[in-house]
Amino acid sequence: MGTSAGTSDQIERLRAEGLAALAASRNESDLLDAKGRFFGKKGAISEILKGIGSLSVEERKVVGSEANRARAELESVFEERLASIREQERVAREGLDRLDVTLPGRCQVPGHRHPISQTMADIISVFRRLGFSVQGGPDVEKDYYNFEALNFPPEHPARDMQDTFYVESDAGDLVLRTHTSPIQIRTMERMRPPVRIIAPGAVYRSDSDITHSPMFHQVEGLAVDRNITMADLKGLLTEFCRMTFGPGKPLRFRPSFFPFTEPSAEVDIQCVICGGGGCRVCKNSGWLEILGAGMVDPAVFGFVDYDPEEFSGFAFGMGVERIAMLRHGISDIRLFFENDIRFLSQF
Amino acid sequence: MKIPYSWLKEFIDTRLSPAQVQESLTMAGVEVSSCRFLGEGFENVVTAKILEKGQHPNADRLSLCRVTDGAVDFDIVCGAKNMSAGDVVALAKVGAMLPNGVEIKKAKIRGKSSEGMLCSEQELKLAEESAGIMILPAETPLGKPLADALGLSDWLLEVEITPNRGDCLSVLGVARELASITGEKVACPETPICEDGPPIGDLVSITVTDKALCPRYSARVVTNVAVAPSPGWMQRRLSLCGIRPINNVVDVTNYLLLELGQPMHAFDLDRLNGPRIDVRAPSEPMAFATLDGSERKIDPGMLLIWDAAGAVAVAGVMGGLNSEVTESTTRVLFESAHFDPASIRRTARRLGLSSESSYRFERGVDPGGTLFAADRAVSLLSRIAEVLPAKGFLDVGGGPARRRKVTFRPARAARIVGTYYSPEKCKEIFERLSFPTETVQPGEWDVSVPSYRFDIEREIDLIEEVARLSGYEGIPTTYPESKAPEFSADDRFVDVTEKACDFLRANGFNQSVNFSFVSGRKWERLGSLLGFDPAGAVRVKNPISEDTTLMRPGLITGLLQNAADNTRRFIEDIRLYEIGKAFGKAYAEGHFEESRLALILSGKRLPSAWSGGPVSVDFYDIKGMVEGLLLHLGAGPLHPVPTNARPFLEDGKAADILANGECIGWFGAVRRELLAEYEIPGPVFYGEIRLQAATATPRPVGIYRPLPKFPPVFRDLACVFPAGVPVGDVLALVRESAPEIEEAVVFDVFTGEKIGKGLKSVGIRMKLQPSDKTLTDADVHSIHTKVVDLLENRFGGRIRTA
Repeated sequence: MGTSAGTSDQIERLRAEGLAALAASRNESDLLDAKGRFFGKKGAISEILKGIGSLSVEERKVVGSEANRARAELESVFEERLASIREQERVAREGLDRLDVTLPGRCQVPGHRHPISQTMADIISVFRRLGFSVQGGPDVEKDYYNFEALNFPPEHPARDMQDTFYVESDAGDLVLRTHTSPIQIRTMERMRPPVRIIAPGAVYRSDSDITHSPMFHQVEGLAVDRNITMADLKGLLTEFCRMTFGPGKPLRFRPSFFPFTEPSAEVDIQCVICGGGGCRVCKNSGWLEILGAGMVDPAVFGFVDYDPEEFSGFAFGMGVERIAMLRHGISDIRLFFENDIRFLSQF
Repeated sequence: MKIPYSWLKEFIDTRLSPAQVQESLTMAGVEVSSCRFLGEGFENVVTAKILEKGQHPNADRLSLCRVTDGAVDFDIVCGAKNMSAGDVVALAKVGAMLPNGVEIKKAKIRGKSSEGMLCSEQELKLAEESAGIMILPAETPLGKPLADALGLSDWLLEVEITPNRGDCLSVLGVARELASITGEKVACPETPICEDGPPIGDLVSITVTDKALCPRYSARVVTNVAVAPSPGWMQRRLSLCGIRPINNVVDVTNYLLLELGQPMHAFDLDRLNGPRIDVRAPSEPMAFATLDGSERKIDPGMLLIWDAAGAVAVAGVMGGLNSEVTESTTRVLFESAHFDPASIRRTARRLGLSSESSYRFERGVDPGGTLFAADRAVSLLSRIAEVLPAKGFLDVGGGPARRRKVTFRPARAARIVGTYYSPEKCKEIFERLSFPTETVQPGEWDVSVPSYRFDIEREIDLIEEVARLSGYEGIPTTYPESKAPEFSADDRFVDVTEKACDFLRANGFNQSVNFSFVSGRKWERLGSLLGFDPAGAVRVKNPISEDTTLMRPGLITGLLQNAADNTRRFIEDIRLYEIGKAFGKAYAEGHFEESRLALILSGKRLPSAWSGGPVSVDFYDIKGMVEGLLLHLGAGPLHPVPTNARPFLEDGKAADILANGECIGWFGAVRRELLAEYEIPGPVFYGEIRLQAATATPRPVGIYRPLPKFPPVFRDLACVFPAGVPVGDVLALVRESAPEIEEAVVFDVFTGEKIGKGLKSVGIRMKLQPSDKTLTDADVHSIHTKVVDLLENRFGGRIRTA
């Protein structure tokens, strides 16, 4: 070991060389190499510090502090260079690997629910939230359920309200149900009040033009209990319309006739197209008929053996296509059954 | 039904405007769908007289007219030829906007100015076509608005009458309805008759054999009739209401049908044998010529009107040719009867003959009004023609009108409607309806209902009257008492379909809705391809078209048609599904219906495959979709097995899916011959699921098992099998071969020269999951050997060595 001055020179030289080596490093391994040679655990400066024991206390102080200073400086430059080189490498790497994020991902494009099915599901969901349970029934129906038990006697002109398809059968008079109302009878035959059901389904009438289809869909509702009133019916349907068409759409209840309800009502909503001012869709009346309803006729209770003095109830029914047409601005009912994907993918 | 406002005003002097009448009737349940001003487009059209008619100097076809409205003269260029000086015509002045949309402006036509237009009936929309301009009666005053001159300053109400309100099918009926709303009074016309003729009993006799089908038959006779056209005002009203004027006698009957709702028939008395009338149904089938010239087949039970020699009319439906009023008729019998509604409806339906008359009888004609109508007929005919009415009338089954008594409890009305109606309010409403009331005991009344209100038989009918005439707008909105809803099997089914829709939507499928009826002809023609069983078919008796004769036995034809239609519209990738019923015959209820979910798939696997090129879907895409959906819906475990029971699927590319031993669906590649029928080019894959069967057993609630504490070991093995060995069976065997084998999946299948003819190589990855210790090499080796031995013994499998 030489003098302390010689050691200082050596440290200064190592510092200079170390800085030069760090500056010359082009990548992480060059840097690590330089660190190893000059100021790592086994680097030249560390070696000097290891040999410091042979020096006087004075010299030890001087050399120790010089070496530590040099090592700290190199260490700091190293960290700086390392960060900078890593950043350069990252930029270089990612530059090569850059992806076009606008290219399509690998997955299916979601399909579309049929507007009739969607509208029906929405109606069902509203009434289920209002405490109604779903009931189904057959499309090929007995005359008894479709007409007779709903208080359409044979040879009654009320039967003309619905152009009926008949089914060839050896098992009595079968029809394609003209409405979902037979489900009322089937349900009441099966259970005692309280009854609170909705019955969705396909129905059939012998009629075809831009607003009539030989097959279409209805949702029927029925509630029977002690003390059910027409005011309850009004309240429920008002709530339904608010949930379906949004708030602030006035409703109008107008007397009408259905054989299986009395008193009966037709429910109109203020025209969703013109807002009541009058247009082609509402035939200038400002109102759109959206459902039929009424209090269950005592004659119907007679068919299912409910006592009309004890129980009362209401029923209502609506055409799903009609509501879907109003919601989506569809003017020709036939579009629903063409299943043109360009049509379906609009909803 | 159409009713002129002016006619209504003759029966009720209402203070309501036509628009108010429309609103009031509609809100009381008698819907007035339109209320049209008849003089629409007649503003600035006036009556005028042609003073001179000359030739247009510059046009051969045009004439030059000088016309006057009585105050001012006009020069008019006119293209018509049918007028001459002195004619009264309709002059559209400058500013008129005609019903056909033409606006009249001051114009110069070939150098001559024209200050208006002479109108034809066609231009005024008074007729479909017209030969020249309209010539008005010479006595028409000049300068009058044309609407007034033609009686068109009036409104036409279009009224929709529900089947229960037959009593409203007349001017009188609607007037009564209006009176019950406004409280105004109905005024019936007086029916003065100068009975200067011979007593009616000397001229004709009437019996009614079938009293049940004809409870009342009233008649009057007029003699010395001159059959001629009826006056303009009567013809105009009939035409407005859609009835063609014929002659004064027939027009009177039709006029009263519209006015009183009483269908009447006029017989030529001299053409009646006897002369006598009987009403009865024949006991044997027979033929009869109705006055529309058709020969009708009459069945026993159809009510007829007879004279001494034979049938002369189908009661309440249509008269006969043999007794029709003609121009030479001089003596007329007016029939005004009440027939049983159901009987008339049955007859009209079986004859396929619905008339204004049968329409009203079916809905109920007032038995108390027959005689008044007969009186009014004679009185009205006397007003418009020279006649000599016979003395007296005949009235079989006549007598004081029967009123029905119906119990009414005001408290009951409140219970049904949900609002309080005071007894005074109820009484007032019944008064307006002309329903006198009588208190039987406190809170219970007898209400007496007039004979024309067929719809009022029960208390609930009276409650409806109170509710509707008080106005539904007054009913409060309350909410029914809430009860916890039942969760039904159908609720669960709705949830299942919602889940299915979500799954399929996420997988790129659009939803179709097709008709439940299909073309029976098509299913029969393609019977062997579709697997159609004609004996099990549910057929529509009266289809609307050839395409809707059969209730669909399966959903495939609908979706194939949708695929074909969309392919034609340049849509390349078809992913469609439908949820709907399939129909067939069954023993129990005569037929069965089953909810199915069908899906159809063709084109690319992913909509945008920009790397590696597009990949087309194949058999395993439909399989994956069907199985994935079924698992999503909680069905399982699933066992697909090859099938040849689905002729619409390619043999060897078709499978049935079994679950718990039941077939819950099928899928495969659609038969090429079927695709050719629908002109669909590419391969198409199809699956159909029996929804109820598939979801009959809800997936049980999961019970927790402790998670494994020891690491799993994965082992791959490559094994060569004869090509016919089903990989599914191989995997099932591997899974069962040792309890440690938690999972066995196939990761590779290939064939080729390297493997050998008739052989295939299958790569299987096993996951060994110990439950109580870490597996040693020896454990793994022993399981591996066991699996290899089993595969060799059961399937002739042989481990591939590199």
